[in-house]
Amino acid sequence: MNIQAYIESGIIESYVLGMADDQERAELEQLSRKHPEIRAAIEAFELSLEQTALQNAMPPAPSIKKDLFVQLESEFNPATEAKLVSMPTAQTGWLRYVAAASVILLVVSAATNVYFYKQFREASNQYQALLVEKTSLLAQNEALQTKGLDLYNGMLIMSDPAFTKISMPGIKTEENKLATVFWDKKKNEVYLLANRLPQTSKDTQYQLWAIVEGKPVDAGMIDTCSGLCKMKNISNASAFAITLEKRGGSPTPNLNQLQVIGNVNG
Amino acid sequence: MYKPNLLLEVATKYSESELVRLLQKRGEQAFSYLYDNYSGALLSIIFNIVKDEELANDVLQEVFVKIWRQAESYDSSKGRLFTWMLNIARNASIDTIRSKSYQNSQKNRELSENVYSAAGVEQLQVDQIGLRKIVHQLKEEYRVLIDLSYFQGFTQDEISKMLDIPLGTVKTRLRTALIQLRGIIQP
Repeated sequence: MNIQAYIESGIIESYVLGMADDQERAELEQLSRKHPEIRAAIEAFELSLEQTALQNAMPPAPSIKKDLFVQLESEFNPATEAKLVSMPTAQTGWLRYVAAASVILLVVSAATNVYFYKQFREASNQYQALLVEKTSLLAQNEALQTKGLDLYNGMLIMSDPAFTKISMPGIKTEENKLATVFWDKKKNEVYLLANRLPQTSKDTQYQLWAIVEGKPVDAGMIDTCSGLCKMKNISNASAFAITLEKRGGSPTPNLNQLQVIGNVNG
Repeated sequence: MYKPNLLLEVATKYSESELVRLLQKRGEQAFSYLYDNYSGALLSIIFNIVKDEELANDVLQEVFVKIWRQAESYDSSKGRLFTWMLNIARNASIDTIRSKSYQNSQKNRELSENVYSAAGVEQLQVDQIGLRKIVHQLKEEYRVLIDLSYFQGFTQDEISKMLDIPLGTVKTRLRTALIQLRGIIQP
């Protein structure tokens, strides 16, 4: 069979226009399955027929669409609607206002966002500052509590009858200086109160000595402590003295640097 | 100024397969799109057949009801959606002109048309519209055959008897007419 002659016989047009009889139609459908060129010729004519019909359209009465949709109202599936992105152009009037309103809302929203962000930043900074302040106040509070407790403990020692108070005034030329030792002779505990001892330089430090059987015994280095400073335990002391030594202390006192001295009474 | 129309036009372009899928799922929006895009083309062919604008509009509505209710039976392997709709429109129109009420009204119409023509009133000329306008370009002998066969729906056998021409001649001439017709619409 000559396919090209068949295609050009007018049968394609007759078929597409619905003018072919049953026998011709069956034959064409069967042949078109075997010959893609027949299929292509059918499609080409369908397309040009469609184009021609669209170009030669005449506008229907506007009421027809309205009546049609009223008639079929109950047959539409609302679930299918939801999937569509399109909208009929007839409804774009209000959409324009919705779009304009959205733009305005967006601008207002953006401005509000900037405003609230600034407020947030400010509040956040203030909060951070307060947090730092609170931490430092807490630390100060704790330090004060410790100091208060130390002072209280010191008062307990000073008023304890078991402790002997040894006042150590400054030696000649150092009269303005004063320190006090509280010593429990039975338990050998020694506490020092630096009443008036000026701050030392970086590389020097005060050292407490006990005079035991005529010889100086190291009783510990004096650090900055609030109230009473606990020193080394000492027994059988006849006197206490403080010298200025190199930082960290010395095994034997530098007597040239004697600051204060006091004898144990009784 | 913000113009949403451009966007929407892009959004409303369905592919034919998507359109068919949505129609078969009973989508109102797809059907609305179908109407907006094809009702004019179908009305033109209906008018070519029933020759009365008001009646053509009624038939158009009837045709879209058929398209809607028969959408399930459309088979894309047999041809384009438009071809299928066009055939529904043609068949509905031919059924209309064969009805008794049409036959009666046609007689009255011819009378009133003569009155209008005499009064010089401009009538919408069927030959100036749609496919008929194209068929009008064919030679008389071909034009008559296409009118009887396509626009009036007579079989070739009926035409052979009506015109008193052998069936073979009717067949050959009609095929030739169709080939010429394609030559016009398919440049």
